[in-house]
Amino acid sequence: MSELNRQGKYLDHRLPERFVPVIDYELCRVCKRCVNDCSYQALEFKGSKVVPAGGCVACGRCLAVCPAGCIEIRTVPPQFAPHGNWSERSRRAILAQSSSGGVLLSSCGADDEHPSIFDDLLLDAAQVTNPSIDPLREPVETVTFLGRRPGRLEVEEGRVIIREDDTPLIRLDMPLMFGHISLGSISYNAQKALFMAAKELNIVAGSGEGGLHPDFYLYADRICSEVASGRFGIKPQYLKEVAAVEIKIGQGAKPGHGGHLPGEKVTTMISETRMIPRGTDALSPYPHHDIYSIEDLAQLISVLKESTEYRVPVGVKIAAVHNVGAIASGLVRAGADFLTVDGYKGGTGAAPRVIRDHAGLPVEVAIAAADQRLVREGLRNRVTLCAGGGIRSSADMIKALALGADVVMVSTSAMIAMGCRVCQQCHRGLCSWGIATQRDDLCARLDPEVAAQRIVHLFRAWNEELKEVLGAMGIDAVESLVGNRDRLRYRGPNPRIAEVMGVKHIGEGWG
Amino acid sequence: MGPDQRPKGQGTEEVCGKECMTIQGDRAVVDLGLSKVQPMHFTTLNCIMRMAMRQGCKRIELKGVMGQRYIASTASDEGLYITIRGTPGNDLGAFLNGPTIEVFGNAQDMTGNTMNSGRIIIHGNAWDVTGLAARGGRILVRGDTGYRVGIHMKEFGDTRPTLVVGGTAKDYLGEYMAGGTILVLGLDRTAPVVGRSVGAGMHGGRIFVRGTVAPQQLGPAASLFPLTEGDREEVRELMDDFQRSFSLEVDVDPSQFVKVAPSSSRPFSGYYDKTNI
Amino acid sequence: MKVEGDAGERRDRRGLPVRSESFTASRPPRWDGQPGGCGIASCISLHGKPVPGDRIARMLTIMGERENGLGAGYACYGLFPHRKDQYCLQFFFDDEEGKHRVEDFLGDRLDVVHDEKVFTRSRSTISPPYPLVWRYFADVPRTREWNGRQDLGEEDYLVELVQHINERVEKAFCISSGKDMAVFKGNGYSYEIADFYDLERYSGTMWLSHSRFPTNSPAWWAGAHPLSLLDWGVCHNGEITSYGVNRKLVEMNGYRCTVLTDTEVVVYLWDLLVRRNRLPVEVAAFVMAPWTFQDIALMPPEQRRLAEWLRITYREAFLNGPFSIIVGRSRPETSLIALADRKKLRPMIVGLSPEEDMAYCASEESSIRIVEPEASTWAPEAGNPFVATVGKGIVRRGTENPFQGVRT
Repeated sequence: MSELNRQGKYLDHRLPERFVPVIDYELCRVCKRCVNDCSYQALEFKGSKVVPAGGCVACGRCLAVCPAGCIEIRTVPPQFAPHGNWSERSRRAILAQSSSGGVLLSSCGADDEHPSIFDDLLLDAAQVTNPSIDPLREPVETVTFLGRRPGRLEVEEGRVIIREDDTPLIRLDMPLMFGHISLGSISYNAQKALFMAAKELNIVAGSGEGGLHPDFYLYADRICSEVASGRFGIKPQYLKEVAAVEIKIGQGAKPGHGGHLPGEKVTTMISETRMIPRGTDALSPYPHHDIYSIEDLAQLISVLKESTEYRVPVGVKIAAVHNVGAIASGLVRAGADFLTVDGYKGGTGAAPRVIRDHAGLPVEVAIAAADQRLVREGLRNRVTLCAGGGIRSSADMIKALALGADVVMVSTSAMIAMGCRVCQQCHRGLCSWGIATQRDDLCARLDPEVAAQRIVHLFRAWNEELKEVLGAMGIDAVESLVGNRDRLRYRGPNPRIAEVMGVKHIGEGWG
Repeated sequence: MGPDQRPKGQGTEEVCGKECMTIQGDRAVVDLGLSKVQPMHFTTLNCIMRMAMRQGCKRIELKGVMGQRYIASTASDEGLYITIRGTPGNDLGAFLNGPTIEVFGNAQDMTGNTMNSGRIIIHGNAWDVTGLAARGGRILVRGDTGYRVGIHMKEFGDTRPTLVVGGTAKDYLGEYMAGGTILVLGLDRTAPVVGRSVGAGMHGGRIFVRGTVAPQQLGPAASLFPLTEGDREEVRELMDDFQRSFSLEVDVDPSQFVKVAPSSSRPFSGYYDKTNI
Repeated sequence: MKVEGDAGERRDRRGLPVRSESFTASRPPRWDGQPGGCGIASCISLHGKPVPGDRIARMLTIMGERENGLGAGYACYGLFPHRKDQYCLQFFFDDEEGKHRVEDFLGDRLDVVHDEKVFTRSRSTISPPYPLVWRYFADVPRTREWNGRQDLGEEDYLVELVQHINERVEKAFCISSGKDMAVFKGNGYSYEIADFYDLERYSGTMWLSHSRFPTNSPAWWAGAHPLSLLDWGVCHNGEITSYGVNRKLVEMNGYRCTVLTDTEVVVYLWDLLVRRNRLPVEVAAFVMAPWTFQDIALMPPEQRRLAEWLRITYREAFLNGPFSIIVGRSRPETSLIALADRKKLRPMIVGLSPEEDMAYCASEESSIRIVEPEASTWAPEAGNPFVATVGKGIVRRGTENPFQGVRT
């Protein structure tokens, strides 16, 4: 390629812009805040005015900082001859890769327009045969416990025996947890905001696999620390002082893939927390090299339990894959106290597109499959089933609960609450909102206190919406919704999906 | 097979096999042969050991170990010295954080998994995935090791894990290595003392091998380098420790070593295309 | 955890309920195989002396962390010195009806010279139902016919009968069909299965054993390992990621998959490659766990040619993904073969007694040490078979060149 270039035979196959910031010069005050804030350098000051410079990703930062409201981000219409099969995107991908020879990388969740199954589900409500409940005036409970439950309590001579030691549990005020987003993939301020919000909401937040910054032990009783294949920052404190420990086998956005934090993001702080040299790539191997089989997973669960003296619940997170039911059952048999199933629309800080967009299972199906299998095997009342991956609203959360999840995991929605606009550029480390970046000037843009408050607002509102729906269904405690698929109906194009999920079709009654 | 041989679950301090332990001063001796349950379950053994550590024992001697796993996981007392006679099970010294463990026999798989600091001395062989993700401390193996040894070891600041293998190592030695030092001596061997894919994807650390490593034995991102004076110094120091630890006199000339090290600290930086398609 | 007042509720070591639904000979409805992990152990007397069954049980049970009570089994070779020239067909029957069906089917298709109930305890900690276990010693008649064909060899004929029974005859499953060997397996922990069959009453020159950690239930007695056909017995730890491809090859060659697990296909591959296609054992092992083309390119020319043609011809026999397997056979001589995948993703260790009269192979060193404290142990290389044979000793250590001793 370079030889061609030298001979001047190399053609410019530069791709057309996807977005263009358009400025209304009548309103523009030429304050240049948009130019200064655009970390992608898609705007420049030229002559006497601000002009687009190319490379706009529609992160929306300029819109937010413009005091005159004079910017509009336009999506560039298709530039290639229309073709029903050869979409613009497929051609752009080929052109890009034939220049670079690289593996296409992206971030956030799968962005295909494949319909969400959540949108094909309708919730039930109480009418006549039972009363609905007003959640503003009567109690509707959303307390949820994370961890292993004993299944039954023993009775000795009429006395009920409780063995708290065998079954460590964490109390959550709402059936929600923040997923694992590592320090490194996001900034110190962003992670701090998540931890602060988790503490205030009294739920748990995942640490991600990048270790735990010393400052964050302040929130340790609300942190679920992650043991991933890279084993970054794992020290006794990281296992013993937290609320829960989760082994990460996979991530919905990239099942079967490892992690790769590029060296540019491994700053002094990241290197200290991950306990690796500064500036080197932080690689997480694709598998755990001590887990090649289910009995090996049992071994890692056991060593973590031994290490924490059985005081901390140990969970396992898997990407939703085709055999999720059998795997879920195996995880419980291997000793996992809670399971997390991450659907294919789940977020990521960087993943090869081919995996992000083409591997895994929708979380809706995965939840139902895992729940049904665990019920069939008599294990469902032992374990907490957490699930997430593309949960966009309280409606998604509620439907996930009804499909069978005890706890719903959210990450992208929390980041949107902080400012993220899902522009899918996390892997470039230039996040203009100070979230998915390690550049000091960008990080400083995110005020953790403000971000935490916004996250708290969002999920308090979701929880209220959950209560509204519970009340409408005549249910006054969330545990009576979990796995209650009878309160869902399917209205989508493919009734076979409903059958697999154990959800009735619209028009079908009870029983 | 009597019911006594049924596997037992988690032990608590009230029920765990105290009959096997005698404590004199700060020295505890655990004879697993005295256990009512044979072989003793790992939860029982680890429970006894934690009890001994809580009581301030500085020396714990285990006899008759037979496959019990997770021995001394996360043990954090730097002055603690543990001896093991028998065959410890998988994950010996996982997350170890200071103590010294000496095994008079062979170890199984995943010895020193994710260890932080401390010493593990194996007078026999230690099989697959020894030293996985170790971040500090030292593992010395008198005999042979298996596959994927020293995988993803990493160093940070002053902490640098080191692993010395007296015999041989198989394929994928030091895969993903991000720091630390591996030394393979191949004592009494003439054939290649390491397998294929040595240092695959390594982006930190160094592997010293006595004898030769053919180019086709190297994994992607690993290259051969001559030893620097600093390297020779490190090899000598590790050799001295090895000889002291096993009371051996080894005649190995530092000039017989080759060094495998990363060709770059960013081996796959050009691998991805970040175009916004 | 002891729970009173709920008789019949079975729990595993962690106190988790094990679904009471259990199947013996009949395949559970909607059975889709049982992915999972395992422990394996085996021993062989190189001088052909009988080894009592409690020895292998001790080897297997010490690896209790590798199983969860949903399946274990043993295969014994050199078990019937007085009937070693007859095929021993051992069956699980759901009930007497299954037995009658099989006996009706066998009729004059086989010359049954003796049959007996296999001893099983009537009470066990294993949750019922228990199968009726029965064995038949039989010769293959000199004139025989199957589907109009009269030319089938003895063994091919027997394979057809066994597969027909397993596919078509209800309430019956043939779990082993070789000479001088038998399989003892079921749904339980390794110690429970040893107890259920009272293994101490048996001695053999070679034992294979396996304990399971399946990820799902129901449990199926006939689906437990070892899986066996003719004298082949296979115990397998791992999950073959190429199952769908391997299955096509054996089906093209007339094998019918009735257990629907990857291990079953491994049994048929050994039978196909070694018995029917007459590949030497080490060559068959290379087919299943071949070198990369990159490494093959470095072989001497003749070996390279062989290796490339093996990869091209037997592409569908390449077992991908993690596995360590132990394979037993009694013909032409009693042999133990142990093989791990080409990246050695599952543990496997072999041992030799100081007197060099006993060889061992297991998932963990402790399994060997508990019966042979002074054994010398070593790890065969990835994809490199270890072979030990009664009367010959260690034929391959698993550290040799792939085609050492093979004519190229």
